[in-house]
Amino acid sequence: MNLYHRPGAQWLAYLVFYVVLAAVPFVVSDNFLLNQLSTYGVFAMLALSISLCWGFGGILNLGQGIPFGLGAYGMAMTMQMQSQDASNPMPPFMLNNSLDRLPLFWVPFWNTGVGITLALVVPTLFCAIFGWLMFRARVSGPFFAIMTLAMLSAWGTLILDIQPYTNGVNGITPPAPLKLGEIVVDPYSPAAYWTVLALLVLATVVAKLMTLSRFGLVVQSVRNDAERVRFLGYNVAGYETAIYTISGFFAAVAGCCWVMLTQYVSPAQFDTTFSLSMVIWAGIGGRMSLMGAILGAFLIQGAQSYLGDAFLNTWLLILGGFFILVVRFLPKGLIGLVESALGRLSSSTGGKTDGNGVSSIRSRLLQQPGE
Amino acid sequence: MAVGSFFTSFDLSAFINALILGISIASIWLIAALGLTIIYGAAGVINMAHGEFIMLGAYSSYMLQSFLGFPFVLCVPASFLIVALVGLVLERGLIRYLYKRPLDTLLATFGVSLVLMQGVRLIFGSDPKYLAVPPIFSSNIQFSFVNISVFRVVVLLVTLGIVTGLWALFYRTRFGVQVRAVMQDKEMAASFGVNADRVYMLTFALGAGLAGVAGSLFGVLNIVLPTMGASYVVQAFLVVVVGGGTLAGSVAAGGATGELQSIFAYFTNDTFARFLLFVLIVVFLRIRPQGLFAPSAKRR
Amino acid sequence: MSFLEIRNLCKSFDTVSVINDFSIELVEQTLCCLVGPNGAGKTTTMDLVTGRQKPTSGQIIFCDDDITGLDEHEIARRGIGRKFQVPAVFRDLTVRQNLEVAYSRSTHPLKNLFRFRAPGFADKLDEVLSVTGLGGRLNIEAGILSHGETQWLEIGMVLMQNPRLLLLDEPVAGMTESEIDKTAEIFNNLKRTNSLVVVEHDMAFVRQIADVVTVMHMGSLLAQGPISEIEANERVREVYLGETGEA
Repeated sequence: MNLYHRPGAQWLAYLVFYVVLAAVPFVVSDNFLLNQLSTYGVFAMLALSISLCWGFGGILNLGQGIPFGLGAYGMAMTMQMQSQDASNPMPPFMLNNSLDRLPLFWVPFWNTGVGITLALVVPTLFCAIFGWLMFRARVSGPFFAIMTLAMLSAWGTLILDIQPYTNGVNGITPPAPLKLGEIVVDPYSPAAYWTVLALLVLATVVAKLMTLSRFGLVVQSVRNDAERVRFLGYNVAGYETAIYTISGFFAAVAGCCWVMLTQYVSPAQFDTTFSLSMVIWAGIGGRMSLMGAILGAFLIQGAQSYLGDAFLNTWLLILGGFFILVVRFLPKGLIGLVESALGRLSSSTGGKTDGNGVSSIRSRLLQQPGE
Repeated sequence: MAVGSFFTSFDLSAFINALILGISIASIWLIAALGLTIIYGAAGVINMAHGEFIMLGAYSSYMLQSFLGFPFVLCVPASFLIVALVGLVLERGLIRYLYKRPLDTLLATFGVSLVLMQGVRLIFGSDPKYLAVPPIFSSNIQFSFVNISVFRVVVLLVTLGIVTGLWALFYRTRFGVQVRAVMQDKEMAASFGVNADRVYMLTFALGAGLAGVAGSLFGVLNIVLPTMGASYVVQAFLVVVVGGGTLAGSVAAGGATGELQSIFAYFTNDTFARFLLFVLIVVFLRIRPQGLFAPSAKRR
Repeated sequence: MSFLEIRNLCKSFDTVSVINDFSIELVEQTLCCLVGPNGAGKTTTMDLVTGRQKPTSGQIIFCDDDITGLDEHEIARRGIGRKFQVPAVFRDLTVRQNLEVAYSRSTHPLKNLFRFRAPGFADKLDEVLSVTGLGGRLNIEAGILSHGETQWLEIGMVLMQNPRLLLLDEPVAGMTESEIDKTAEIFNNLKRTNSLVVVEHDMAFVRQIADVVTVMHMGSLLAQGPISEIEANERVREVYLGETGEA
């Protein structure tokens, strides 16, 4: 059997990958670099969310910037309010925009707990409602992709437009790092790095388990033939909404982490280019594999910052060309190369199939349907 | 005035101007969406590079005008040919391998859009370019309280002309019969001797060329930038989605969304109007997911 | 006591009427063959019963409940399973996973999120495998099965659902003689516990399995009765058997 499909090997690969990542702060002392690596972790979480929705569910989502951006704004509002107090309740940009009191929807963000909860709940709820409306109406495939794109641009323009409340194109720049109770999360510290990494590991495990569960099985069936699944008694719209919403929740978490790391958010998070680059990470890395998507984010974002802003235009040109080639010739992404290489290896060493028919929790956990 | 007393700020002449502007917006969105509509309608391909085709049209006109001294009136058909050729090359080199994978065509054409946009940016830079037009186009028509620029009227007329031309092409020519046969059932059409491959190729080139025409007009309405495509493409997609992918559907959808945008904008402002419109479209699709005029679904 | 009852069913697309005042009653534990020339409305009838299309008028009563106009999954949960004319299986998934999806005892997405096994699945799997004989192909992707095997898999999937009523659209299309015989045997066993409606063109196969034959023509009921009666029916000969030359 191909080592790539071997369940134990997959879990082992995750383990090794994350242990190496966790050890990085012991080697890297440059806190700026560490902060940059943490943001890659955030991008990896986004790629993971895209892989869930698109790779496993077959739902191409070009608007993942919506939950990411909403989560990021929620976090930025929370952090901004940590720097305000009763004597000075208004963020400076509101005063510049001549508001005379704190807008009502900012009030809950006084409380850090409530603020972060809202930063996660609002985008998730948006995905649930939008997804349910679309999937109930059986909007799917390219049409759904376009509707997410349209929704993204609608949110972007709205947030840009209500300048007094969001500081428009300048975005929100919380002056101080996030405080959780007495703890200050310094974005340029190993602690921040490990926080993001822990969340990424958690997200990976949850996502992996989901793809292996009965839920994951049904979701993959929907990708194959949604209509057939209905006649088996499953409410397809429910499954589609669920996977889309869960994927949105992951993106919202990523949005919160991102603001924690950068202390900045702006309508640029709703740019189509950003949402499409998430799809590119997952596509080039390998959308059908969570690991592939995660590696894709690290690889591409790493290369992009290494090449620097001077080459940005050339780099995007190369990236676009490379993406075309991957779509055309490597639908499984770069990780697909690993799959076929290991496949050739195992067939040359006379690999055998494991013909088990036993259903146990262990064997289910160790099966990988999509990879 | 009875209506005027309803809203304190309601001004009938301004509102009528908004309605007329709505017709103009509709014609702009429609001409942006026409190429997309026929490519989607005939081949089922969602062309994410459509916005960049529009951008290429604008740059083609710019080049012809500033380097070869073409008059603007000649730039428009020339842009059609240039962008149609680009579309033809793209279809032969990439799209034709992906017809059976609709989501992948969407992604591949997105890659193409990135390449085109960055390529143009590397060649021409990010600073805006301008298209010059004969002075008569840059004047305004003033008729009692109605005020609209001549060029917007030109765009409207060109759009009407193209729609009529497309209708004639699809319903009055042999090629049109072939396109409609391929749309209905590719295998069946092929067995009757229609070269489906050729039909796809030509419709793709035609759609791209129409984007080129739109681009050279938009270059006058606005400035010419490598990123200009993105500002038209979302509206163009929505017109196709709401219309259901047929020519008649796009005309109706373009008209409805353009007018609504202008009316909402009259009561609020441009950006908020756009948000309202998008939300309205989501709700509309909940009720009518197949769009306004969709071809009937295939049987299993 | 009727099990499935179709009352005055009508379906029209725009102005074209496809099903025209069609009524039948089905008794439990019988196998009814639905026959008729192309375009008679057999597949459309199945679409209407399973909720794939909504009737223009008329009623469909299943086990004393009105199921007219319900969604596909709601009808499926009430115990109606369907096999499609063009075999529809999940090609990326293994045979085993196909059957596992079809074992749809719990259908709620959130309850299935972290559920890794379905109680009773192993027993049901053994049972279905013993009927369909796909045991040796369990870990193979369904996309690479032969046409006959794909048909079997889809029948197996319908069986995994444990439906009270099975609707099978041309289940033996593309099968070899021996495969057809085996299918007939399975169906004859099944009708001891379930009810079946089979759309079929192959009259030899119909003779092997049918308790009752319903003939449709132009969207209406033409005749109904045991096979011998149907084959003797003059009008049926005219519109159907005469045409295909199989009688």
